Amino acid sequence: MSELIVKNGFVYDPSNRINGERADICVRDGRIVERVGPAAIVVDASDMLVMPGGVDIHSHIAGSKVNGGRILRPEDHVKDVESHTAITRAGTGHSIPTTYTTGYRYARMGYTTVFEPASPLLKTRHTHEELNDTPIVDKGCFPLFGNDWHTMEFLEEGRVEECAAYIAWMLRATKGYAIKIVNPGGVEAWRSGKSLVGLNEQVPNFEITPREILRGICKANQLLNLPHSIHVHTNDLAKIGNYETTIETMEAVRDLAVEDRPIIHVTHVQFTGRTGSAWHNVGSGAPEIAAYVNKHKHVTVDIGQVIFMDTTTMTADGGFQYMLYQLSHNKWMNSDVEVETGAGVVPYTYRPRNYVNAVQWGIGLELALLIEDPWRVYLTTDHPNGGDFTKYPRIISWLMSTKARERAMRKLNGTAKRKLDLQALDREYSFSEIATITRAGTARALNLHQKGHLGIGADADISIYNINPKEVNPSREYRTVRRALKAAAFTIKDGRIVVKNGEVTETPQGRTYWVDSEVPQPLASEVESKLRRNFREYYTVEMDNYQMDDDELENSHKITVKARL
Amino acid sequence: MTEISLRPLRNIQLPIDAPEITPNLLATKSEAEISNLKIWEGNAKVELSRVFQVSVNDDGDTNKTLIRIIGNVAKVRRIGYRMETGSVIIEGNVGMYLGEEMSGGSIVVTGNVESWLGVKMKGGQIEVKGNAGDLVGAGYRGTTLGMNGGSILINGNAGDEIGCWMRNGTIRVKGNTGFMPGIHMNGGTILIEGNCEGRAGAQMRGGKILVTGHIPSILPSFTFEDIQQKAKFGEEKIPGPFYLYSGDLNENGKGKLSVSIANNPQLKWYERYLEV
Amino acid sequence: MMRKNGRLETVAYDEAIATSAQILANAKYPILYGWSSTNCGAIRTGVELAEWIGGVIDNTTTVCHGPTLLGVHDIGEVGSSLGEIRQRADLIIYWGANPVHSHPHHISRYSALSKGRFRKDRKDRTVIAVDVRRTDTAKLADHFLQIPPNSDYELLCALRMAVRGDELEQDVIAGIPADKIEQMADLMTGCEFGVIFFGVGLTMTSGRHRNVDGALSLVRDLNARTKFLILPMRGHFNVTGADQVSAWLTGYPYAVDLSHGFPRYNPGDTTVVDILARGDCDAALVVAADPVSNFPVDAARRMTEIPVITIDPHPSATTMISQIVFPSAVVGIETGGTIYRMDGVAIRTKPIVHPPPGIRSDEQILRDILTKVKELKGL
Repeated sequence: MSELIVKNGFVYDPSNRINGERADICVRDGRIVERVGPAAIVVDASDMLVMPGGVDIHSHIAGSKVNGGRILRPEDHVKDVESHTAITRAGTGHSIPTTYTTGYRYARMGYTTVFEPASPLLKTRHTHEELNDTPIVDKGCFPLFGNDWHTMEFLEEGRVEECAAYIAWMLRATKGYAIKIVNPGGVEAWRSGKSLVGLNEQVPNFEITPREILRGICKANQLLNLPHSIHVHTNDLAKIGNYETTIETMEAVRDLAVEDRPIIHVTHVQFTGRTGSAWHNVGSGAPEIAAYVNKHKHVTVDIGQVIFMDTTTMTADGGFQYMLYQLSHNKWMNSDVEVETGAGVVPYTYRPRNYVNAVQWGIGLELALLIEDPWRVYLTTDHPNGGDFTKYPRIISWLMSTKARERAMRKLNGTAKRKLDLQALDREYSFSEIATITRAGTARALNLHQKGHLGIGADADISIYNINPKEVNPSREYRTVRRALKAAAFTIKDGRIVVKNGEVTETPQGRTYWVDSEVPQPLASEVESKLRRNFREYYTVEMDNYQMDDDELENSHKITVKARL
Repeated sequence: MTEISLRPLRNIQLPIDAPEITPNLLATKSEAEISNLKIWEGNAKVELSRVFQVSVNDDGDTNKTLIRIIGNVAKVRRIGYRMETGSVIIEGNVGMYLGEEMSGGSIVVTGNVESWLGVKMKGGQIEVKGNAGDLVGAGYRGTTLGMNGGSILINGNAGDEIGCWMRNGTIRVKGNTGFMPGIHMNGGTILIEGNCEGRAGAQMRGGKILVTGHIPSILPSFTFEDIQQKAKFGEEKIPGPFYLYSGDLNENGKGKLSVSIANNPQLKWYERYLEV
Repeated sequence: MMRKNGRLETVAYDEAIATSAQILANAKYPILYGWSSTNCGAIRTGVELAEWIGGVIDNTTTVCHGPTLLGVHDIGEVGSSLGEIRQRADLIIYWGANPVHSHPHHISRYSALSKGRFRKDRKDRTVIAVDVRRTDTAKLADHFLQIPPNSDYELLCALRMAVRGDELEQDVIAGIPADKIEQMADLMTGCEFGVIFFGVGLTMTSGRHRNVDGALSLVRDLNARTKFLILPMRGHFNVTGADQVSAWLTGYPYAVDLSHGFPRYNPGDTTVVDILARGDCDAALVVAADPVSNFPVDAARRMTEIPVITIDPHPSATTMISQIVFPSAVVGIETGGTIYRMDGVAIRTKPIVHPPPGIRSDEQILRDILTKVKELKGL
């Protein structure tokens, strides 16, 4: 039907080992094909940088706590507005953009797939309503497990297979893509008004430890054959020196790994990558964590880089958010979810002269520079926790240029600068590695076979940036790199031009990916009966109303897998 | 001096948003240029000359700009937006957000002003001969940053929550105020010469409030300090005696609230806390 | 139906749509009000329509829990979904709320009389009511504090002092002796899991959003001592949904002014009651609400001076003064869609009967008006 050809660009497609060669990309009916006819629309990418569309594996863009943040902070929106046009909807931005603005801004940056990484099961209908209103990009969400009573009750008794069947039911009911675990056991503690430290204490009200929860869910994930590994925000985020917990978490499931396939993704590692016993002696645990990740292939991570700006923190880790309120005295929103999880939102400003913030900024970059394999470390800001996603090009310039880092460090708190190893690190990322940590690697971690690369059969999601990688030296001309990556010359989504010169030209509805793992009988029915009893006893909604129907997603895209049960 | 006169052509029905009516912007413009400036009238932009009769009088001294508005402009918002120098005189009632973010110059209003007078003000002076609305010298919703400098004088009455989140500067009301002057205040000084409806200094962390009129009660989170014979408002000494309180203790506040003894006999019982 | 010669007469649907679109597209400062008794699909369409006509979209929050949101903007809110209360709460406080009448199932489903995992029955819970008169809810409470009207702020202030351990200098505050206030503070700090449910008694009396500010601050302070939450008793069917949809599309929960092409928000300025009272607006679209009955007199009067288009299943004072009326299907009965419970949980409703012939859903009618408006605006 519709044909398009991206001509003459310098293509970076790490999955297919294309590293800056001049090549044409042919598109038909939304897919990449071998060749096209003479009537194809020509996109002239001469002397430009061509990559697959960006794939963001972790960004808080939709759902109850994100919207709670918007309501909490009217002052955040005043600074940054988008006006209504014939093609685009009005909106507001800064650290918590509205849904239409989110879609447009990702597309303008050349990103075409984004995942909302933390959705409470009970409130995932809300998450999908917001994702339905997020234009252009393909998307999905990760429902939250690990503090929910169902999981803990199954795993208390060692019933991993039933836990897996339950998780499959939940993913189908909530149209989720992957398992997200936040502070396992710790949020139940917070909801009860108690605390929990480390991986080995009993969770209040239950007879299970965080370690057991992690292992149980990890096994369940493998049994269900889910495309993505468990996606984990570790325990002890509120603890000052917490890097050891991060390593312990990674180690806790190592024996479950099969071959070298990653079985755990630890997210925004910067936030749980600190050494120290008090805020004034906080340091970077990045060397230790990087050493572990370099040695152990069962782990993938994303960095959660800090940007010095006024932003908004939001996580399911209610206890951590309370602690941040106590430290900052900023306003604080908390939203516990019955049976399941929690959430908290606190505005926060990262300042370069603030010792702790400066160290945090250093940790993120050190992680990216010390972890050797770009296929297992990804670029995120844990938007908006570290900063908003439109700042990714800035981070890219820091990774590609020691000069850019030096410049950024000029305003950095002096004590922090001396404490960090960052100044001594002279590694500079190449364009190919950048393509890996923002597209190829993330798509692979998510097992989205048609994303993150430009091989035949891939979705025609292509970003074209107005920068000549053969002439520009990113190490010296980092500003040029940053400017080019901020606003794509062209963004192509499913073979249609959606952005031209940084302006949105079309606003198709992206797909919502979710996973259906087929669980055999009679296991599925047995677990459903147990769930029905739980619903009656614990919830304030009916089980039949809880489940989402397919037609509630505007563009539902189911991925079916067969569970190994 | 350049004097720019603006006279509304008719009764203004729709809300007008006119941050362009500010000395810094109009100073260098000709009468034709000013007439052609576009301002918001409801949901459309229209030339200023569709709303106002414009006339410019220039005596050659380009250093001073005066904008004189003659008539009822109660529906015109954001006059004096971000002004740094020059003056604005409004002979009539004027709308919301007058003097928003101003840092210098002066505004005088002969009539009344709507709410959010001097919102996010940093410097300069505003005088209102009539009454003012609510939230004088405040910030916008959700912010912790209100007025940060300058002085506001209201000869009539003012509404509720004047000086909300105020950080610096002065607000003086010769008439009465509504509830919660100085709510969430962090610095600056408020003087109320008339009566206050109550709850002065609610949730304040710093700054000073003086009430020389009557206030029914003091919040429980304020602690009685002493009797002071006089209080200072800028350089001016305001004769007392006053009951002096500090608070808001619920916010670990170190704000000061001084209340006239003569006009508040119902507060006499606090004297039991005087050190003998 | 359309008004002709002073009377509402039946007209063809398309004619009504076309005339409505004309009125709204030509308006210079239109308001779009209501939204709380319809589903989220209709509200989403409403926001889009407001963008195209450059108007102000506001919902019933503006006359109800608007003050709550204003308080949240300053302080935040320590809340949860309703089930947490049922499972865990051993201290329940109703402040300025009378759920026995306003939310009849509240007490048995979610609070004092409900059965929770950790609180098996009524004996495991203590209930306190704070109100200006002895309501039916107060009658079933273990403790009742009767306070004079308009004194909530002082009592909240004093409770915060007592919770902090600061000495109260006044003997009596809000009609309550200081030692009784200290007792109540002890109950609050001494519980394992407390909650304050608050209603219009707090939001609509002197102080308004500052009362809520005080309550939100008190609960925040309490979290330093024990687990404590605060939940507003929201009414009006899907008002929570209206706030949520508005916030994810514009950044602001209600009173959103799109007249400059992008969202602006400032209650007191952009709230429709104030806009009407000032006579600023020149047309109105009302969906699933009855402002002529509920608004203050000045605002209601203005509605009779401008063209009003109403979409509603039921006749009301507002439909009676409207230029155009579209009868629509009842959400939850004749049509489905999502609505949000008072604690933010989204529920999908499904129709149980078909609407009468010729009656469409709010969403469908709004879509049709929007299509016509886009044509008129030259799309």
